[in-house]
Amino acid sequence: MADDRTAAYAAALFEVAQGEQDLARVEDELFTVANRVRTNDALRDALTDQSLPVDLRQGIVEDLLGGRASPTTTNLVSMIVGAGRAKDLPAIIEGFLERSAGSRSETLAEVTSAVPLDADQQQRLAEALSKRVGHKVSLKVTVDPSIQGGLIAQVGDTVIDGSVRSRLEQLKTQLQESR
Amino acid sequence: MQNLFLLASEVAPGESLTSKNPIIPEIGELSYSLIAFVVLIILFKKFGFNAVQKAMAARTERIRKDLDQAESAKGEAEGILSEYKSQLADAKAESNRIIDEARQQAEKVKADVLESTNKEVADLKAKATQDIETARTAALASLQTSVASIAIELAEKVVEKNLDRDTNKRLIDSFIAKVGS
Repeated sequence: MADDRTAAYAAALFEVAQGEQDLARVEDELFTVANRVRTNDALRDALTDQSLPVDLRQGIVEDLLGGRASPTTTNLVSMIVGAGRAKDLPAIIEGFLERSAGSRSETLAEVTSAVPLDADQQQRLAEALSKRVGHKVSLKVTVDPSIQGGLIAQVGDTVIDGSVRSRLEQLKTQLQESR
Repeated sequence: MQNLFLLASEVAPGESLTSKNPIIPEIGELSYSLIAFVVLIILFKKFGFNAVQKAMAARTERIRKDLDQAESAKGEAEGILSEYKSQLADAKAESNRIIDEARQQAEKVKADVLESTNKEVADLKAKATQDIETARTAALASLQTSVASIAIELAEKVVEKNLDRDTNKRLIDSFIAKVGS
């Protein structure tokens, strides 16, 4: 039931956003919002706190995105928070991004990097991932210094982890298991 | 009869019994005495001898019975004594047997206790050895975990210090090349 509702919200977001001229910008902004909500506990708690009035929660969205993001992005996020679905915001946005990529015959590829990727790197990475999965991908990059270096790419259910953090974890496991 | 001998001894050789002697009775008196004596003997024989003989026989019989009883009592006493001796010997044998049995029992108990104690000691030793081995393994695992954590912390610091932008770019390029290959 929750998946159906999430898919319905994602479809609604896509219906609204595809009328926008700069769909790519909305996608990027929503992707950034999803990451912030996923990684920032205080923000997630505030937006999902049912004891707070809806106006106040939507005010938080306005304060955070107003002037920084496009009005479409701000309104879409505010609409989801106002509907009391803030806890599903990352999943709804992911569904929206998949639907949006699918409309271009692409597959969503979520990439995490310790440092921002330049345009050349993003292009080469998109090509490499497209070659790997067999069709074109829509790249969404998240910068997360905690992975310490390298990249993590997720396309559908496939995760390719080339991060330094992952390698250190593997090394730690090997050291603990080697007796 | 005795009196006759006494009378005879009083008569000197060659001297007649009829001679006057105040001590020696007269023939007539002697005859009367002799007759009276014979009568007395006859009467005694007729009336008293059997009773005396019977009393003597009864006395002899009683004495014989007493002797027989004494003999029988003696035999009985000897039998009882023999029985007591036998019982004493049996008691001694029984006591020796009980002592031997008790000694054997004590030896067995001692052996059992010794065996039990040895087993207990062996069990304790085995458990202690196992505990030591478990503790050693746990300590080793803990040490290994600590060493691994320290090594990883050091590695993270080294990586953090040395992973500059160029190195990270090379890592990213390497990842892209690997994914696309």
